[in-house]
Amino acid sequence: MKEMVCIVCPNGCLLHIDTDGNDLKISGQKCKKGLAFAKTEMTAPMRTVCSTVKTAFKDVPVLPVRTDREIPKEKIFSVMAALNSFVLQERCGIGEVLIEKICGTDADIIATSNILKE
Amino acid sequence: MKIKKLKNKLKKSFPAFDVREENNCRIVTGESDNWNDIINACSMCVSKDKNVHVVNDIRYTGKAEEPMRTPVEQDSFLEGKEPDVLVIGGGISGATILRELSKWKVDALLVEKESDLAMHASGRNDGEIHPGVDLAKGSLKQHYVLLGNRLFPDLSDKLDVPFDRCGQYACFTQGALIGFVGLYALKRKYIDGCSDTKIISGRTLRQKEPNSNPDFKFALYNPSAGCICPYGLTIACAENAVQNGAAVSLNTVVTGMTVENGKITAVQTNRGTLHPKIVINAAGVFAEEIAKMANDRFYSIHPRRGTNSILDRKAGRLMNGIASVKVLELHSGHTKGGGLLHTVHGNILAGPDAVETNERENFATTPESINTVFTKQKVTVPDLTERDIITYFTGVRAPDFEEDFIIENGRNTKNLIHCAAIQSPGLTTAPAVAKDVARMAIDILQAQKLVLRNDRFKSERKAPPRLAEMSVAKRNRLIKENPDYGQIVCRCEEISKGEIIDALNAPICVPTVDGVKKRVRPGMGRCQGGFCSPLVAQIIAEHQGIPLEQVTKAGEKAFLLFGETKGGDAQ
Amino acid sequence: MKQYDVTVIGGGPAGLAAAVEAHKNGAKVLLVEREARLGGILKQCIHDGFGLVRFGEKLTGPEYAQRFMQEFKDLQIEASTLTFVTKIERSSEGFLLTLVNREGLSKILSQTIILATGCRERTAKQVFIHGTRPAGVFTAGTAQNFVNLCGCMPTKKCVILGSGDIGLIMARRLTLEGAQVLGVYEIQPTPSGLTRNIHQCLYDYDIPLHLSHTVTRVFGHDRLTGVEVAQVDDNKRPIEETKQFIECDALILSVGLIPENEIAENLGIQTDPHTKGPFCDQNLQTLHDGIFSCGNALHVNDLVDYVSESGETAGRNAAKWKRFNRSFASIEPSDGISYVVPQRINVADENMNTILYFRSAKVFDKVTLQILINEKCVFEKKYNHLRPPEMERLPFDFTAFGLKNTDTVKLLIKEDAQ
Repeated sequence: MKEMVCIVCPNGCLLHIDTDGNDLKISGQKCKKGLAFAKTEMTAPMRTVCSTVKTAFKDVPVLPVRTDREIPKEKIFSVMAALNSFVLQERCGIGEVLIEKICGTDADIIATSNILKE
Repeated sequence: MKIKKLKNKLKKSFPAFDVREENNCRIVTGESDNWNDIINACSMCVSKDKNVHVVNDIRYTGKAEEPMRTPVEQDSFLEGKEPDVLVIGGGISGATILRELSKWKVDALLVEKESDLAMHASGRNDGEIHPGVDLAKGSLKQHYVLLGNRLFPDLSDKLDVPFDRCGQYACFTQGALIGFVGLYALKRKYIDGCSDTKIISGRTLRQKEPNSNPDFKFALYNPSAGCICPYGLTIACAENAVQNGAAVSLNTVVTGMTVENGKITAVQTNRGTLHPKIVINAAGVFAEEIAKMANDRFYSIHPRRGTNSILDRKAGRLMNGIASVKVLELHSGHTKGGGLLHTVHGNILAGPDAVETNERENFATTPESINTVFTKQKVTVPDLTERDIITYFTGVRAPDFEEDFIIENGRNTKNLIHCAAIQSPGLTTAPAVAKDVARMAIDILQAQKLVLRNDRFKSERKAPPRLAEMSVAKRNRLIKENPDYGQIVCRCEEISKGEIIDALNAPICVPTVDGVKKRVRPGMGRCQGGFCSPLVAQIIAEHQGIPLEQVTKAGEKAFLLFGETKGGDAQ
Repeated sequence: MKQYDVTVIGGGPAGLAAAVEAHKNGAKVLLVEREARLGGILKQCIHDGFGLVRFGEKLTGPEYAQRFMQEFKDLQIEASTLTFVTKIERSSEGFLLTLVNREGLSKILSQTIILATGCRERTAKQVFIHGTRPAGVFTAGTAQNFVNLCGCMPTKKCVILGSGDIGLIMARRLTLEGAQVLGVYEIQPTPSGLTRNIHQCLYDYDIPLHLSHTVTRVFGHDRLTGVEVAQVDDNKRPIEETKQFIECDALILSVGLIPENEIAENLGIQTDPHTKGPFCDQNLQTLHDGIFSCGNALHVNDLVDYVSESGETAGRNAAKWKRFNRSFASIEPSDGISYVVPQRINVADENMNTILYFRSAKVFDKVTLQILINEKCVFEKKYNHLRPPEMERLPFDFTAFGLKNTDTVKLLIKEDAQ
């Protein structure tokens, strides 16, 4: 049996996972999100990466960004490296895509602040 | 006491030590790993003859002191300069002396090894302007404290440094002592010249200080006591001196001297070798080192640590003046056990304690110091609580074993003046001492050449405006002239961007977070810079035209940041 | 002189929600913000996890703030940024506020004030850390500002003291940016931050969490060179033999947040020693008529969603505010509860529908929360877990109970018989 804490929401449910052959028996979750979390966490854990990128603008040296969806956990540091080598040259708004399909994942890097448009 | 008798007495208590007398010095020798033994032995050898000083040559085999901290700079900025007067040390002594010298047409230069003025004892004390009630006639301390105290209203006014003559109370719970303390007060008042001394009743005390302990039966009161911001005054004096033509070189450490025929002919620093006509030793805890370099060591400094706590302004109501509980006890050493003081900025300051130490630059605080002070001062004001503490700091005093000042010309070296062993009440005495020291320097110079008064001397210096304390009309006018005065950066102390820029444009610019903090107070409040330190750093970077990561807390080595998070290139 | 029905002080999530809600309820609103941009601390909270309760999505701080800022802008509510409230006086007409900004000083008149000033971080000296005073001691929020807004690294190798949420978030953030986080030290035997943050911020990156440990001393004259850590005994006193030196270049502190209430204190508004925020009634009006409090200035919330909710409550009620005599029953935290907000119910108000926010004093499993009126239990709710880092929210309508101003309401925890 394995225990893990669901990180989907602040409830932080303690999940119990029994592996029975290929079947996973999961308990402890307050909602079905916990079920889905435990399944991916057991097979291919996924995370959202939130960081910043350097900009060409003096008043806003860095702009907050994130992946628009979760990416495989083991790719976190490759994504960080890619973000570190990127310099934003144009003023973009919140939600705009800065990098598509980062590091070969399905995720785009989007701006999470509107500061450059204000 | 004859030296032979002293030798025996010393041997009895400390068999490992010896003492001999030569050239008006009592040189104590031996070896010990116990610092307190060394202090006690040397104190035991103090002579009644004021001209004779104890020199501590006992080798301390305990944990060695770290080497003196020195600046990183290495350049030739001062190479070959020939100032008339070189002042070593940018504390209150050096700064007041420099200001006095700037009243004359002399080329005066002050060197300070730290990145700012008032970085040692002058920036790490309680800021009390003493009445001198604890001192009996006969010492330099007592002579100068009476003179110095009187100079403060005018000096603070001219230099635009807030000064509050808030009065001092020594409070007693033992009513039976009133007769004895009353006699003491009369002696101080009429014989020693501390003329404002009086006894007040417990009731009067509580009218003046409603939060003082209801058990106090009476108090010794000196209305002439006051408080001032000690580093604010030091900076103001140095700035005023610079405005009047003197020079200050920070980050400059004296590393050696060349002495020929009883005269200093060269002074080596990390920024070049200079050739001053006169050297003034105001080097605080390092005064003995400077004396040694100048071949004129006839006294020893024994560092004494003290810790003060600063309380939130919301606790400011606890005390309007300066007070401490007094318990009649055999005077043990020189521990004053501290007191409570309402600062000019509205905080309460508690402390300091007094602990002998071999480390001149160890400013680390310990919980014990805070406990000592609070245990005692909770008797003074029962509502006092550690929960109101917003910060605490340690300073190291620089007394000699005679526990008096040394203000005299060099004994072996002719062009040297010592302003050494300046401890409490050194802040109070400084303006009066400075007048005499400057006079001594001018006298030496005048023997060599004609020295004229600086007829363009301006005694006034303006501090950056304090917008929050101004009338609406004045504040509005200043903001209209300079909108930066309307942009609040430090919310706790209500300091504007304009005031911070003023601090950076002052005659002595110290573009560090602490430098700005000492001058205009952003970060002095309850959040201790949590919100404003990034903003202050940004303003400094912008003003100095440097990248943010080059802004430091204090001095080159106290860097805040490790460069940018994003290189912008593949890592 | 400009006149307003509601003046909101603070343009973070609480203030934005309060201003929007007050406006929607017909009030003429002014929002005063000290900084150049609205959004408050959310501007630098670039991690995700905000808004799950409210929007059902995982947003980052700036994204969460943007939703309110957009609505605020769309409703054309008046805001005065880079503006500081320097003085508040009472007059027969209402509150006279003196504002200062780059244009100068100005006075406005407002019928009500909403304090949405957020909170500040406890500092190293407030947790009695001793030693030297080098560069390199940062509160987690200051470090976050440097990294996320200034784009600069405050450390390469650090120790974090305190397991508050910002500390945990910064442990991950600094690790992502290439710093080495040697460990998180927590004086309490249980973490202070949310469990999910312990997992996704520490365990995901193999950062050790040392419970019942603290930092006792700081070393270094110029830049920090190391810290001394020690295990603590049951009375939180460091155990001498466990003292250990750790070489690092920074100490990051996440040792608690304190509601920012300088304005409330200056007005003589009574504050609750448990929350450090003002005492309030169900409408989030303080004991000072016409002054409301919300968000982290009222009490430190665990989630921004609740901050916004309390802002809305304050905004709505400030808009509807009329002077009338209030009369209070008190709500008190009892066994197992560390605090409850609001602390008063205005029984003169016909609507006593209340949202109770509370925290447990320690970790509980399988317990029952009881609400007592004059020692009589009127409500029970079972909880599987109660943890101090997690604030609980419980809507409760006192209207039906005919509360009187002599009544005392108590919240307490009953541990179920095993």
